[in-house]
Amino acid sequence: MDISVNGSQRAVAAGQTVAGLLAELEMNPDVVNVQLNGEIVPRSRFGEVSLKDGDQVEILMFMGGGAR
Amino acid sequence: MAHDVPIDRELDLKGEVCPYTFVKSKLVLETMKPGEVLRVIVDHEPATGNVPRSMESEGHRVLSVGPAGERTWEIIVRKKE
Amino acid sequence: MFAFTEDEIVRYSRHILLPEVGGVGQQKLKEARVLIVGAGGLGSPAAFYLAAAGIGTIGIVDDDVVDLSNLQRQILHRTQDVGTPKVESARRALEDLNPGVKVVPYRFRLDAGNVMDLIREYDVIVDGVDNFATRYLLNDACVMAGKPLVDAGILRWDGLVMTIRPGEGPCYRCVFPEPPPPGAIPSCQEAGIIGAIAGIMGTIQALETVKLILGVGETLTGRLLVVDALEGRFRQVTARRDPGCPVCGENPTITQLVEYDLACDIRGNGAGDRTAAAGGAAN
Repeated sequence: MDISVNGSQRAVAAGQTVAGLLAELEMNPDVVNVQLNGEIVPRSRFGEVSLKDGDQVEILMFMGGGAR
Repeated sequence: MAHDVPIDRELDLKGEVCPYTFVKSKLVLETMKPGEVLRVIVDHEPATGNVPRSMESEGHRVLSVGPAGERTWEIIVRKKE
Repeated sequence: MFAFTEDEIVRYSRHILLPEVGGVGQQKLKEARVLIVGAGGLGSPAAFYLAAAGIGTIGIVDDDVVDLSNLQRQILHRTQDVGTPKVESARRALEDLNPGVKVVPYRFRLDAGNVMDLIREYDVIVDGVDNFATRYLLNDACVMAGKPLVDAGILRWDGLVMTIRPGEGPCYRCVFPEPPPPGAIPSCQEAGIIGAIAGIMGTIQALETVKLILGVGETLTGRLLVVDALEGRFRQVTARRDPGCPVCGENPTITQLVEYDLACDIRGNGAGDRTAAAGGAAN
């Protein structure tokens, strides 16, 4: 099925979870924030939430820097 | 020069060059009431084109532009409502 | 209404020409008070552009001294300033650029005990901090005090910015409810940073601040601007106010200021530990 990740189309396996998607993208789940169709997915639920065809995923990195 | 529109404020900008001819006119216009009329005197010829153009782009109505003496011009503008 | 000196008319002429500014807007900037937390990568461009714009009073908070490694991006400071307090170097730079600006240096670290009194004195707060503990503290304090906060973060080649208007749009916690585990996110000193990304994001913070003060345009409220400078991509992510947000939601669970202890691995072993700060009650 097709989903959109950070504005770009991506093909993923049916039933893929958020955690699975992050693993595919080689992203560390501890350092990102995920929004699914505009709603924040709590980190504790990354393994439970499954993606559907047409879903829009936004993955935001935490960025702490500013002064140092 | 004769004009039939009552003037509410007059601004003498002789000696000023662009863009200060417009900037100073604009600052005075901001303090005036909507619909009031300002008469600006300039002696920098490009201002006779630049000031009216800028005034109109901000929505004010330029009533007339014309000579006001030796190498001097007047621009008469009504503040938008 | 306004009485500008001849110098001010010339200095701010390019502002006054703009329909969105004029003399009325320039006067608002002159009467405004902006607090910039952090005189580093983000604070430098933000402070420079806000001083250039004629913000009447600029407060700068930073307890650090200038280090040579800062100069790759912290453009407020000069080589000869190495070793001097950042707030003093900042004051000198801003006053040189615009002597009409009053710069108020605060040479201390923001904490739950001082933040509320400080932000109350200002109209807009600009977040240029380098750590999550202070970022969350500032967010919570601004929400509690109803102060607009322009927040940005940078790392490597990326940047993120949003304008928090308490009561009108999401706060930082609506988007990032909890800080990341300690040590999970490297600081600039660990991961590196491309200097100009600080310039881009800090400058956007200055623009957002100016828009807030003038009351024009649309701020980045309810949306984040995410910059991937390496790929040259700018994208916008919608952010919604979360009714369940612990600090700005319908039933806030955070009603006292929290100071996270997020000591990173470089300094020692820090387990994330939330401690309620004494004397940090919000009014």
